[in-house]
Amino acid sequence: MSRPLVSVYNEKGERTDSNVKLPAVFRAPIRPDIVSFVHFQMKKNGRQPYAVSKVAGHQTSAESWGTGRAVARIPRVRGGGTHRSGQGAFGNMCRGGRMFAPTKTWRKWHKRININQKRYAMCSAIAASGIPAIVMSKGHKIEELNEIPLVVNDSVQEYKKTKNAVTLLKRLRAWKDILKVYSTKRFRAGKGKMRNRRRIQKRGPLIIYGQDNGITKAFRNIPGITLLNVSQLNLIKLAPGGHVGRFCIWTESAFKKLDSLYGTWKATSQAKKDYNLPCPKMTNTDLSRLLKSDEIQAALKPVIRQTKHRVLKKNPLKNRRTMDRLNPYAKVVRKAASSIQKNRRKAKDDALAIKRGLKPAPAKKAPAKKAPAKKAPAKKAPAKAPAKKVAAKK
Amino acid sequence: MSADLTWMIIRNNSCFLVKGNGRCYSKEPNNLKARNSLRYSGLVQKKTVGVEPAKDGKGVVLVTRKNKTEATPGKSYTKVELKKGSRQTLQTISKTLGKTKYRRDLRMSAMRRACAILKSQKPVAVKKSFRKKKE
Repeated sequence: MSRPLVSVYNEKGERTDSNVKLPAVFRAPIRPDIVSFVHFQMKKNGRQPYAVSKVAGHQTSAESWGTGRAVARIPRVRGGGTHRSGQGAFGNMCRGGRMFAPTKTWRKWHKRININQKRYAMCSAIAASGIPAIVMSKGHKIEELNEIPLVVNDSVQEYKKTKNAVTLLKRLRAWKDILKVYSTKRFRAGKGKMRNRRRIQKRGPLIIYGQDNGITKAFRNIPGITLLNVSQLNLIKLAPGGHVGRFCIWTESAFKKLDSLYGTWKATSQAKKDYNLPCPKMTNTDLSRLLKSDEIQAALKPVIRQTKHRVLKKNPLKNRRTMDRLNPYAKVVRKAASSIQKNRRKAKDDALAIKRGLKPAPAKKAPAKKAPAKKAPAKKAPAKAPAKKVAAKK
Repeated sequence: MSADLTWMIIRNNSCFLVKGNGRCYSKEPNNLKARNSLRYSGLVQKKTVGVEPAKDGKGVVLVTRKNKTEATPGKSYTKVELKKGSRQTLQTISKTLGKTKYRRDLRMSAMRRACAILKSQKPVAVKKSFRKKKE
């Protein structure tokens, strides 16, 4: 797999002379299904328990009236003097009763995910962040970006002021993504509004740094920005919504650390014990090139360019040509039959004529005589031509 | 990443995808028919053709993708403004895509899109009504 050199950009958005070889993670197989699954399970780990009150529906001393009272046997509230007396209680079907299977706080809220699956998902998410088409389809405005993956100088890690952060993003042509976040600020639809989740907005760029020397404080107030340390990458931040392709901005040290974190296929990871990148199922995925390749073309049958059209089936019993095609002897039979018929007819007519005392009709000339007549002028023409030629030569 | 592989990831999962009424469209730039398909995709292919209206409202811009610029989105497109007139615009598009064989399969679609844009830029003709005035 090709691992090109990625340029590092300085604070002014210009290419510097330093390059980093693309970490092998960016060539890991992209498995949106694994990312989606792992993201879904991971999301559950942030949940807070909910449950109904333990005593809900049981804070009555209701008892069933039993049979013989022309009422259903559900437990009924004791006493009198209020609407509540005699009403059904306890059942899930009763008004003011306990719900079916009251929710408990000891439900298993968190999900265990296999380590390898988690790592696979991470690798896929990082790889997808390096493909412009996927990042664009996620919705990030990266049309004007100079390079993807975008790697910035380590001096960015020293930033203390948001002002500098904003200038940097503008110089890097990443500000459009932030503007997109601004334009999508709105109120949440639904009850979340009154549950402290009033406002929502889209996600912007994810900034991944090697060492926090102020960068977090500089960037955190810019809407949409998320910051992550390279050693603590979070799938939920890298693939928000379970969809791969978040726009990531890397600092140089973070980018360089990826090879040691995730390994290259030639070398195992240094940070993760015995871990190496997942292998893709296909090394060459370019379908059109594969199909045009010599190996495949040589194994194919030759192309049939001629299209066979549907031929109308004609009835040989009615259509003479079809009959003759199927059974060439039919022509002979037919001819013989017709000549026999003719002879019989003639014999009959002659007999009748004789009976009537007339002369029998003469036999008709055969039509085959036309052929020699045609040939005669043809024979004459070549006979003439050599005579003409001889005359010309002279 | 090959176009085919990226397509398999994006085909049903994209911010540009528009589904409704049993139909499927894709709103990304450089998609000549706004069709959600591998052939017409403006994101995934290495060679794409886009036809957009010119910013001042007259003429058309032909956008083609430069070779080997997948990793640099800001520098990957060549934009040519075609302002001369419909006949020359269409001829330019036809020859650019036909003779150079750059996405020859998109030639007709590009020309049709240019036609549609140019038509929209013409002033709306007032139709003569042949209705007899009611007295």
